[in-house]
Amino acid sequence: MRYQPSLKVLSDDQIYRIHQAALRMLMNPGVLVKSEEARRLLAQAGAFVNDETLICRIPGYIVEECLRRAPSAFTVYARDAANDVHVSTTSVHIEPMIGRINCYDSVTGEARPTNLQDVGDLIKIADAMPNYHLLHSGAIMPQIDGIPIRATHVNGYLQSIMNSTKPIKATSRERIMAEDCLRMVAVVAGGEDELKRRPCTFTTDNPVAPLHHDADQMDGALLYAKYGIPIDVTSEPQAGATSPVTIAGLLAQQTADVISGITILQLANPGNPVWYGTCGSIMDMRVGRIAIGAVEMGLINVASAQIAHFYDIPCRGTASATDSKELDFQAGYEKTAVMTMAVLGGVNKIFYPGTMEGALTVSKEGLVLDNEIAGAIYRVREGVDVFEDTLGVHVAQAVGPGGHYLNQRHTMEFIRQEHFMPQLADRQIRERWEASGKKNMVAKAQETVAKILAEHEVAPLPDGVEEELKRIVREVEEREEKRS
Amino acid sequence: MADAERIYEAMRKSIETYDSDAAVAAAEEAVSAGLDLLEAVEKGFAGPIRELGEAFDRMEIFLPELTLGADAMKAGVAVLEKALDEQGAKLEKKATVVIGTVEGDIHDIGKSVVATLLQANGYEVYDLGVEVPSTRIIDAAESHNADVIAMSALLSTTMLYQRDVIELLKNKGTRDNYYILVGGAPVTQAWAEEIGANGFANDAFEAVQLLDREVGGQNS
Repeated sequence: MRYQPSLKVLSDDQIYRIHQAALRMLMNPGVLVKSEEARRLLAQAGAFVNDETLICRIPGYIVEECLRRAPSAFTVYARDAANDVHVSTTSVHIEPMIGRINCYDSVTGEARPTNLQDVGDLIKIADAMPNYHLLHSGAIMPQIDGIPIRATHVNGYLQSIMNSTKPIKATSRERIMAEDCLRMVAVVAGGEDELKRRPCTFTTDNPVAPLHHDADQMDGALLYAKYGIPIDVTSEPQAGATSPVTIAGLLAQQTADVISGITILQLANPGNPVWYGTCGSIMDMRVGRIAIGAVEMGLINVASAQIAHFYDIPCRGTASATDSKELDFQAGYEKTAVMTMAVLGGVNKIFYPGTMEGALTVSKEGLVLDNEIAGAIYRVREGVDVFEDTLGVHVAQAVGPGGHYLNQRHTMEFIRQEHFMPQLADRQIRERWEASGKKNMVAKAQETVAKILAEHEVAPLPDGVEEELKRIVREVEEREEKRS
Repeated sequence: MADAERIYEAMRKSIETYDSDAAVAAAEEAVSAGLDLLEAVEKGFAGPIRELGEAFDRMEIFLPELTLGADAMKAGVAVLEKALDEQGAKLEKKATVVIGTVEGDIHDIGKSVVATLLQANGYEVYDLGVEVPSTRIIDAAESHNADVIAMSALLSTTMLYQRDVIELLKNKGTRDNYYILVGGAPVTQAWAEEIGANGFANDAFEAVQLLDREVGGQNS
């Protein structure tokens, strides 16, 4: 008998009021929809569309009908079927961040521009980490040092797919970039028909808080919907800056941002897999920047999961982020606090492990450290198994008063499933710790990184695939060079 | 004079309480009492807003307080400026700034805070908004006879347009007519130097300090 530990921060009534508030916002003031195709879909469905202001006012019945079309469970495919991820409203999967503009060197303490080698290394580390299931990739990076900027997505995707057999994310940020990526994904899948059958990628669609669907982003996302590819529709409001300052207000507006995006995608392709996504946090009003390690983000993650599950849709959240510039106490505190809440709150896809410095920077050691935090929290989520064997009455009778359990077969049988064994946290006595070099977690993570990069092997792409992908990369590079 | 002090106090208080209506009322009172309006701007509004900026820099007050304080000041100063205009006098501006977020970039907040704070600190500011094409920035700088071009970019893909603007100005031979200030999350001092900008600021307060030091001093 197992009781699933869970955390809730909203009552049913509060969830419903937030939903109603979101629907009120979608009618007044409505949403700014810059994609012509999206406006056409909304108009056909009966929304009030103003083609001059580009404001779409969407009645609640349309939104609710579209939310009902979104599935509560779906599969994100990988190039190795053993790594397929089965997403549902009760599963928890973690998506580490790979592509950030800077990469942190924990030896020098400096951040420097991320290059293509870093992208491959980061992906390979994430591939080796057991608690990571869905991988962000170089395809979504704004820039890779040394790569022509308009060919970042194709180079980033190639470098990523070569270094992992887990599901690799691709970009929907611009229609043409989305097309380029999907051409490459189709090659990996084994053709366009296979891409529809086993779309081995996923993407993010970011509405711009408040209440704005950008054309480049939405047109790209609509292309993904054409192939039935899973999309997390994620708003990134900052309380007090791009949403009301109150958490309730943030949740209401975020919900309006997200469910209007989901509505458009469901109109384009009924049943397309989506996550209700949050990257909501507060703006720190003393410095005017997003606080991405803020504890309020924990509340927002849990509340978002509750709202998503009210719609019977999986939730994508954002946790394991920090504003710290180092792998220090602040990083550990901010990451663990929010991550714990997100996991126990039932967020189904948790994005951002590996990041630091407000997610401007990613770190190889950070990926290893955050994997350990994730493992510990997974253990908490397992809860407490209570049945005859685990109650251990028989073993207490065998040991008797004053004895010990170290020599019991029962201890040996259950230790691995009952106790989480950290790989990096140190529990030795001081003398042993000193004798083994006084290593802290970061130093141990450096060793793990070196070991993975030296030893971890990733199955190569099938014959001919790498060459074909490289050909597409060259083609895109030439096209973009001509354009500029 | 006692009357003047009382009115200046009301103006100061309107900034400290972030109250635009009170700022307008106090400014109107200053006009009808026949006060020296240039002195009123400095004592009633400019001084307090500088203090507010410094308090923000010390992390003692929050961003909305700073921007609402600046809004109150702008509302009050607008009343005084109109009256000065009618008297044939003119409020001296430190410099004229054309500001915008570059092409392809829809991020508004940081740029708007810089614009507000510059205005509050005595600059003539033309805010061109977001996604501003390079040629529009240049045209606006010409038509407003600007001293400063300030460009924001939040994305590393769009910050390239900051360089474009500078290159286009060089081609026109008008690069040296302007002090060029760049900012935004991915922008650094090194980037500013690489593209040949004059200055870089991490935040709005730094931008004001930098322009006061480099540009504002010349005209004020």
